[in-house]
Amino acid sequence: MDTEAQSTQDFSDEEVEILQEIMNIAFGQSASDLAEVIDTQVVLAVPFIKIMQVPELPVYIKENVKKYKQISIVEQKFWGKLKGDALLIFSSGSGKALIKMLQSDDRQGMDTGPVDILERETLMEVGNILIGACVGKLAELLHDIVTYTPPLVLVEKEYEEAITSGHYDPEKTAIVLKTDFLFERGNVSGFLFLVTSNESIKWLRDALKIFIEQYE
Amino acid sequence: MIKKILIVDDSPIARKMLKSCLPKDQGYEFHEAGDGKEGCEKYTQVRPDITFMDLTMPVMTGYEAIEEIVKNDITALIIVVTADVQMKAIKRVLDLGAYMVLKKPLKREEIQSVLLKVQDTLQKAE
Repeated sequence: MDTEAQSTQDFSDEEVEILQEIMNIAFGQSASDLAEVIDTQVVLAVPFIKIMQVPELPVYIKENVKKYKQISIVEQKFWGKLKGDALLIFSSGSGKALIKMLQSDDRQGMDTGPVDILERETLMEVGNILIGACVGKLAELLHDIVTYTPPLVLVEKEYEEAITSGHYDPEKTAIVLKTDFLFERGNVSGFLFLVTSNESIKWLRDALKIFIEQYE
Repeated sequence: MIKKILIVDDSPIARKMLKSCLPKDQGYEFHEAGDGKEGCEKYTQVRPDITFMDLTMPVMTGYEAIEEIVKNDITALIIVVTADVQMKAIKRVLDLGAYMVLKKPLKREEIQSVLLKVQDTLQKAE
């Protein structure tokens, strides 16, 4: 079954539009939370939803990030009725740029340890804020509660090396919610992908229906 | 008096959600646009009493559309409805001439009190 056919089978156009709008609200919330911490505007693009088979996923993500020489990834799994993986992919140099942004705000108490550790911790913290606020808002709007694994961080890897499908079940369907962002200062950009499996699809369809019913 | 309402948002669902929050018994005339450019064109054609504007849109963003509309009509009454509630984003749209900013998802009570405020503003201007 090709992706388009799969997509049609799983979600109607209206369901995709509702999910897109909810994702828009959720990522807007996370950008707002982060902007308070780093004092920069996070410029957001229109979110995009795509449904695909898991083996297609690495190819799709690589296609989106190939413009970056190297990438850093913050990954967090979440589970509730909606469960999946959040992958926050930053452009090359983002970790160091974020450290500079945080330090230039005259923040006290910033660690002055080795740069690689500081970079990892900064990416982890920023990733945690963006993913937590986005997934949390998504869950709140759909009347779900999610818990998270601690974030995992990969710093400055070649994208070919960093993105594999090894830990996803190839038999499953992935709902990919993608949004790209750009920090107004600091030359930081990237993508947030939320990958949820077909186990969540039935619940998600019902939750979307309940969400939109309040606006009927 | 509010008669014509323009809703500019790339998401048909967001437009539907907004319309559902507006009172049904006021005989409003609704007009819709799916991006900032279409929003500017509709604004010129329709001359709405009030415009609800999203910010993150393809083709032309809400920021650009507000700038364009206000450049041609300083009295334009534009209410930004957005998920992007960063302080800098809010300041920027208010500086561009937006009347106020509302956070998505909208609540009926909130939008109805905003309409009363707008009505008051329009009456004072007449």
